[in-house]
Amino acid sequence: MPRILPLFIKALTDSWRSTLAWALGLTAAIMLYLPLYPSIGGNSQMQDLINALPPEMTKALNYDQIATGPGYTQATLFGLVGFLLMSMASVGWGAAAVGGDEESGLLELTLAHSVTRVQVVVERALAIIVRVAFLSVLVFVLVLLLNGPAELGIDVGHLVGAVLLFAALALLSGTAALCAGALTGRKVYAVAAGAAVAVLGYVFNAVGRQSPDVEWLLNLSPYHWAYGNSPVANGADWGAAAGLYGISAALIALGAVALQRRDVGV
Amino acid sequence: MTQAIVVEGLRKKFGTREVLHGVDFAVERGTVFGVIGPNGAGKTTTMRCLLDIIRPSAGTISVLGQNPQRAGTALRRRIGYLPGEVQLENRTTGRRMLEHFAAISGPVEPRHVNELAERLNLDLDRQTRKLSKGNKQKLGLLQAFMHRPELLVLDEPTSGLDPLVQQVFHSMVREAVDHGATVFLSSHVLSEVQQAADAVAILRDGEIITVSTVEKLRTAAVRQLRFNSTGTAANDVGALLARVPGVANVAVRELPADGHATGTVEATATLSGKVQPLVQALARLDLTDLVLEEPDLEEAVLTLYTGSTPDQPANGSQRRAAHSEGAHRA
Repeated sequence: MPRILPLFIKALTDSWRSTLAWALGLTAAIMLYLPLYPSIGGNSQMQDLINALPPEMTKALNYDQIATGPGYTQATLFGLVGFLLMSMASVGWGAAAVGGDEESGLLELTLAHSVTRVQVVVERALAIIVRVAFLSVLVFVLVLLLNGPAELGIDVGHLVGAVLLFAALALLSGTAALCAGALTGRKVYAVAAGAAVAVLGYVFNAVGRQSPDVEWLLNLSPYHWAYGNSPVANGADWGAAAGLYGISAALIALGAVALQRRDVGV
Repeated sequence: MTQAIVVEGLRKKFGTREVLHGVDFAVERGTVFGVIGPNGAGKTTTMRCLLDIIRPSAGTISVLGQNPQRAGTALRRRIGYLPGEVQLENRTTGRRMLEHFAAISGPVEPRHVNELAERLNLDLDRQTRKLSKGNKQKLGLLQAFMHRPELLVLDEPTSGLDPLVQQVFHSMVREAVDHGATVFLSSHVLSEVQQAADAVAILRDGEIITVSTVEKLRTAAVRQLRFNSTGTAANDVGALLARVPGVANVAVRELPADGHATGTVEATATLSGKVQPLVQALARLDLTDLVLEEPDLEEAVLTLYTGSTPDQPANGSQRRAAHSEGAHRA
């Protein structure tokens, strides 16, 4: 009884615990941060405090924009805590998909069965996409629910765009990890590649915003491509969204080709 | 198509290190073919090439008439594979794991799975991380056998199994062959394979040294002989033995009187070839004890390899000790 997408279904059912854990983490972060907006972002004393901070620091943390509801949501949730949690989840799944599976010796037995290597990479990538999408929809719904009570004043259309970019950014580090795992067969390289995309993207953005001399770093930062224009406040840069999803698709394809061409488990 | 596997000139390099230097062999359909060799000889690499898990650097492979690299998924559906080191996921049960493999390699009759689990005395509903090494090996065997494949490729199948389960495994192999399947299995010791295999290939340092039948190896094998007799002088016993074809390394001594009948002579020797002439010669003696050991096929292999009888005392003692459990007492 051949089932449809057996590896995809297995990847999803195997990871329901971790998906649930990340969902709880994101929910907790949203519930802690967003309701605080009226007493932090909208508070003039708080604004004075932030003005007193070194401008380099407020720029690095994107706190220069937290005086408005959308800016606050952008800086704290999408730009920092949510970004961190989503990147970790996605890199973990991406690294486990091929690199981790091969290193633990499990991939050999899977490949000895009636599956192709392209199928392994594509179905497992699909499972990552679905999990990232699930968490992103959760974030969207929670922000929408808190929009009124927390006086955030976020435009729903802008929120849709921001969540799409949020998902794209997480997916990019996940597919980078997947691709590096498929290329090398090592989990540690996979984690390193995924973390590098997330961390360097963040750092290049934080540094690049400091002065015009280092502004060129912004061009290398996927984080900046996605969030450079503060999508929660101003709406998504759809070109950036398409670019990010395109790169993820290319990384999945590259991973599939790489695994197809090399020896496994050596 | 009478051959299930044909391997010609198979070479495999990892970086600059070549681990297979042109391996050739063929496995007839409906037979059991064993490949023996020390660890690191290239058994696992050869098997992985058959499954297209790794790709040859040179040479051709035909599995069930197809090139494994080009044949795709349909070919692997016809093969059951047991890796050399069975690794299982942690957070699952044997049953769920088998269901997944059935989904990607089926079709599998659920009844057949339960039947095999029962024969192997394996609890499918236990968490895999709690399984012992032997039970993991059973689960690995089960996933290889459960879809009744035409070809079984089994890397060290009896490793970790206790003798009773090894017997179950051997009967599973026989049944598979009775149903027309071909079995290709490996081991680092010949004694594990000799029971199951029709033909045996010896692989050493990435080369096939010899391909032979177990029967031929048995004929070429060297047996250890030891007996006590009374009433015949040591010299005469020695002379008698020396005239028997195939007997060598004769050592005869008179045993001290304490505990033995006076005039007891103990003789040790090696025998290669037929047993009958020896039995006829020994019939003339008044034997008080006789031990003719199982032929040591590993020594037989060495004999074929080097073309001469290996030195008896060197390295032989350990193997002989291991084999003396199975010695026949007459």
